[in-house]
Amino acid sequence: MSIKILHKGLADSIQDIGRYGFQHLGIQPNGCMDLLSASLANSILQNDIHTPVIELHFPSSQIQFLEDGIICITGANFVPVLNEKSIALYKPILVKKNDVLSMLQPLEGSIAYVGIKAVYDSPKWLNSHSFNTAKLKTEDVLPFSMHPSNPIAMKTLNENLNHALIEQVHNNIFSNTNPIRILPGPAWQDVNENALYELINTPFTISAQRNRMGYPLTGPKLNLNIPNAYLSSAVTRGTLQLLPSGDLIVLMADHQTIGGYANLGQIILVDLPRFAQMKTGISFKFSVANLENAQTLFRTMYATF
Amino acid sequence: MHHKIHNWTIYSLGDHAIVFALTPKMHISVLQKLKQLHQLIESKKINGILDVIPSYHTLTIIYDITLFLSPTQNVNDQLQLFSTQLLSEYENNALTINKNEETIHQVPVCYENIFALDMENISKTNQISCQAIIQLHTSKQYDVYSIGFLPGFTYMGSVDEKIKIARHPKPRNEVAAGSVGIAGLQTGIYPTNSPGGWQIIGKTPWKIFDPDPNKLAKFKVGDQVQFYAIGKEEFDSLNEHI
Repeated sequence: MSIKILHKGLADSIQDIGRYGFQHLGIQPNGCMDLLSASLANSILQNDIHTPVIELHFPSSQIQFLEDGIICITGANFVPVLNEKSIALYKPILVKKNDVLSMLQPLEGSIAYVGIKAVYDSPKWLNSHSFNTAKLKTEDVLPFSMHPSNPIAMKTLNENLNHALIEQVHNNIFSNTNPIRILPGPAWQDVNENALYELINTPFTISAQRNRMGYPLTGPKLNLNIPNAYLSSAVTRGTLQLLPSGDLIVLMADHQTIGGYANLGQIILVDLPRFAQMKTGISFKFSVANLENAQTLFRTMYATF
Repeated sequence: MHHKIHNWTIYSLGDHAIVFALTPKMHISVLQKLKQLHQLIESKKINGILDVIPSYHTLTIIYDITLFLSPTQNVNDQLQLFSTQLLSEYENNALTINKNEETIHQVPVCYENIFALDMENISKTNQISCQAIIQLHTSKQYDVYSIGFLPGFTYMGSVDEKIKIARHPKPRNEVAAGSVGIAGLQTGIYPTNSPGGWQIIGKTPWKIFDPDPNKLAKFKVGDQVQFYAIGKEEFDSLNEHI
């Protein structure tokens, strides 16, 4: 018993924190694009951090609950409505059997998460519920076993809401116009100085061809001093690949495990949720971080969960 | 962090990975060293290492920041110490880990027309008979240099110069699982149906990637592959792509 997809969205899926340990076989990590917002939904619901969430892009799936339960929506504000009544983000929400959740408008951000106070009764593949290719389809039934949704459970969750944390995470992702920080990659020395200057000083935008594999960028064309043909080596989530056309693409959650194009740098982990959530066409800049600081920031963020 | 120890260059990749790199070339001597270092790391079961990814001349360790490093010490110092100790252990044990077991796979391939979509093209471009292409492709043992692009996609090298051929400028929309192709001096096998630009010379009846957790990829980096030619009838009897 469970949740039904009434109408499929553009590219929605079930995601958790993804899988590691199989990249040497070419198996991608997958997982939530914005792990921070997804973790926050689970944290608000006092779920285990590994509980899968529904990742919604826009236009989003229309979802029907087939039993009573408690959910929490985080990440992008797509103006969620439950049976056409507006509902809040970042709060536990009571849903009744047959209630329908729809998303009206991409007001803020690019990816919304629906956390569910439930156990997901589906087998994992290699330690994760995230699958590279499994988009949610109309009529899909997702086997979430809902946690009993009594008033006491709601009261407990509401009493334990950490408003400061919620505001901090939300502001960090959505009200932060600072540059996206990167650490230089192995091909940094292979681009000419002018291209490095442009990489740091010229605004870029995310192009509409974005998907879970990567975000192509629109911006200045960057040139290499050498042919753009490297022996393939491992890439990560957040790798800035320079394509032979001179354009950049940032690799995201469903990235291939190896890449043979110039690796200019990687976005630091703490800035990835903010980058993932940026809307198409919005200008941003890159800046250069340092490793020590990037890790300290990550530890601080990690410690809040 | 970016430093050199013996022939190795060690550098950080982003904020949660470290790379051990050798001279960038597709060569068995480079591959052997990577394979040995990979085995050493695996055998040590180091806390906080999420993935170890070998590919041609690099071995990349993806790590969990909170488990792999201590918050109280300088990050670069810790990574430098880790890599120095690891490589010194590698040097000291090189002789023993050198004797790693070799895995050689004898892989059947049907080179007949229905599967060999680009055989004619290679034959024309390289001025060589189809028979000679098959003979050359099956005449040597290839080393697996990398696995990626798709789960289980196997990159091997090197093919004879006479059958070297560039990728198609425009990839095909779909290449069938099991297709065996050539790209430059590399030969590879498609694990699943997918778009692809390699020049296809045949198809193996083997399923080289199976999502069954007990099976997964048939080959791993450092394995050796020897192809042998089979007819359509034998292909059908061995066919696992059903």
